[in-house]
Amino acid sequence: MTRGREPGSEVSAKHPAGTTAAAGPPAITIRDVTYQYPNGTQALGGVSLEVAKGETIGVVGPSGCGKSTLLSVLAGLARPTQGSLSIVRYSRQRHHIGMMFQKDTLLPWRTVADNVALYWAFHRSLRREAAARVPELLEMVGLAGFAGAYPHELSGGMRRRVAFLASIAAKPEILLLDEPFSALDEPTRVSILDDVFKILREFQMTAVLVTHDLAEAVSMSDRVAILTSRPGRVRSVHAVPFGNQRSILEIRQESEFLKLYGSLWHELSIEIEKSRS
Amino acid sequence: MTDLEVAPVDIMHIGTAPDGGLFRSAEGSRRRVAIRSCQALLVIVFLAGWEWVPQIPGLSKHSHVFDPFFISSPSRIATTLYGMATANSAYPALWVPLGRTVSAALIGVAIGMVLGAGCGLVLSNSAFWSAVINPFLNAFNSVPRVALVPVVIIIVGPTYSSDVIMTVLVVFFIAFFNAFEGGRTVSLPLIENARMLGAAPVQIMHRVRLPVVIAWTLVALPVSMSLGLLTAITAELFSGYPGMGALLYQASVTSNSSITFAVVVVLSLVGVLTIGCSEIVKRRVVHWWGKV
Repeated sequence: MTRGREPGSEVSAKHPAGTTAAAGPPAITIRDVTYQYPNGTQALGGVSLEVAKGETIGVVGPSGCGKSTLLSVLAGLARPTQGSLSIVRYSRQRHHIGMMFQKDTLLPWRTVADNVALYWAFHRSLRREAAARVPELLEMVGLAGFAGAYPHELSGGMRRRVAFLASIAAKPEILLLDEPFSALDEPTRVSILDDVFKILREFQMTAVLVTHDLAEAVSMSDRVAILTSRPGRVRSVHAVPFGNQRSILEIRQESEFLKLYGSLWHELSIEIEKSRS
Repeated sequence: MTDLEVAPVDIMHIGTAPDGGLFRSAEGSRRRVAIRSCQALLVIVFLAGWEWVPQIPGLSKHSHVFDPFFISSPSRIATTLYGMATANSAYPALWVPLGRTVSAALIGVAIGMVLGAGCGLVLSNSAFWSAVINPFLNAFNSVPRVALVPVVIIIVGPTYSSDVIMTVLVVFFIAFFNAFEGGRTVSLPLIENARMLGAAPVQIMHRVRLPVVIAWTLVALPVSMSLGLLTAITAELFSGYPGMGALLYQASVTSNSSITFAVVVVLSLVGVLTIGCSEIVKRRVVHWWGKV
């Protein structure tokens, strides 16, 4: 397994029929990755996927197909049983990989500002950055007036916004999002996604968004990968043609969105059926 | 008014408190007054019964419980307490023994909590060392602490230090097991999140586990204070070191029930005060505890 490969080095490419290949310089290359839990459960059954630099890829699939396991492998929190994984680092000035977890990771004893600045608490030499960056980040998601509040004083949507800011505060090159807004109601989620999309584009991050919500995947991503039922493999990858200027709030009313959603749902429903049988 | 409309039977007015919270003002304060009144009444009835029931002729013949020689009376206890507090030579001094006992308990609690929390933090951070050390700690914890008092007295003598050491031995385990369990409750996503942000293991221990450990340790502070005081007094009862324990011992061997009860009253007040203070400290330091 290769991690943190420098730019310019070759990726030995062997993509299955172009479906998993990305356009542009690769940031992540996953090749035939399998993962088996110590209890014998095979979560991933040979995932191959490429993610281009600056691209957002949505990963959807039936429950238990290994979506979150795939993110853990990408984050280095789990070691693949087989296969190879290459994550390119393009800049030494930026934090390499950030992750936003499904579960709440805010520290209840730290204020909103201190939670957002957690990265700098671990990198004391950079802490001067925090004073300037934290207010700026809070402003971006409409939390400027809550810098001194504690997590228990915030709504669920606000807490997720803070958790998102904490994960991108260091401007990581790659951001892994593990069902980050699944616990929120639809209007709150769409509103947050709009902010998240803009920030991902502004910071030119490569993002892997794992979600069970197909509409979320379509509205946020440049491509959507559908995983098979367990053990997860990439069934197909679909380009999303909405570009960088999309409005997450308005896109869902467009006929093109509904058409793409329908065709992806058809494929996903086949895998859901398989996972039930 | 149409047929569908219903006339209100009652309207509850909910006011907004200055801090923005809601309160039912009149009902709440009435309830508080009622509770305090009942409490005051119970105390008055109890003290009046204690003062006058033993004076009923012939009652003391039936039981020592009604004999003023054994149970004294509130007025005699108050007189004794006043005499002790004002250094009246007819009574034993109060402030010096009280200072010795309370300071020994406070120092013992402070040392015990810091050591216990520190060990709990380190062991909760390391599965290996936790597995190595835990059986020894469990074995030591199962030893009745009172049995160690003579050992400590033999080693350090009947001194102030023996009070402090005994308090440390008792409080250490309370703090340790609380801190250890607290450290282990830190969820995996919190640790993985810190790791993803580039935290070193020591930083995870300091920034993520330590605050939780402090919270769990401080939750045990009121109990530790109470047991710390109890331990210091027990050690003095054994050693005869001139603190409140020794005062209690002398009063009991001379069958002076007024001094005995006076000491008990003082210790109760000190207990209530220290537990109250530790509750305030707990609430201030871990204001976020239990809030979601």
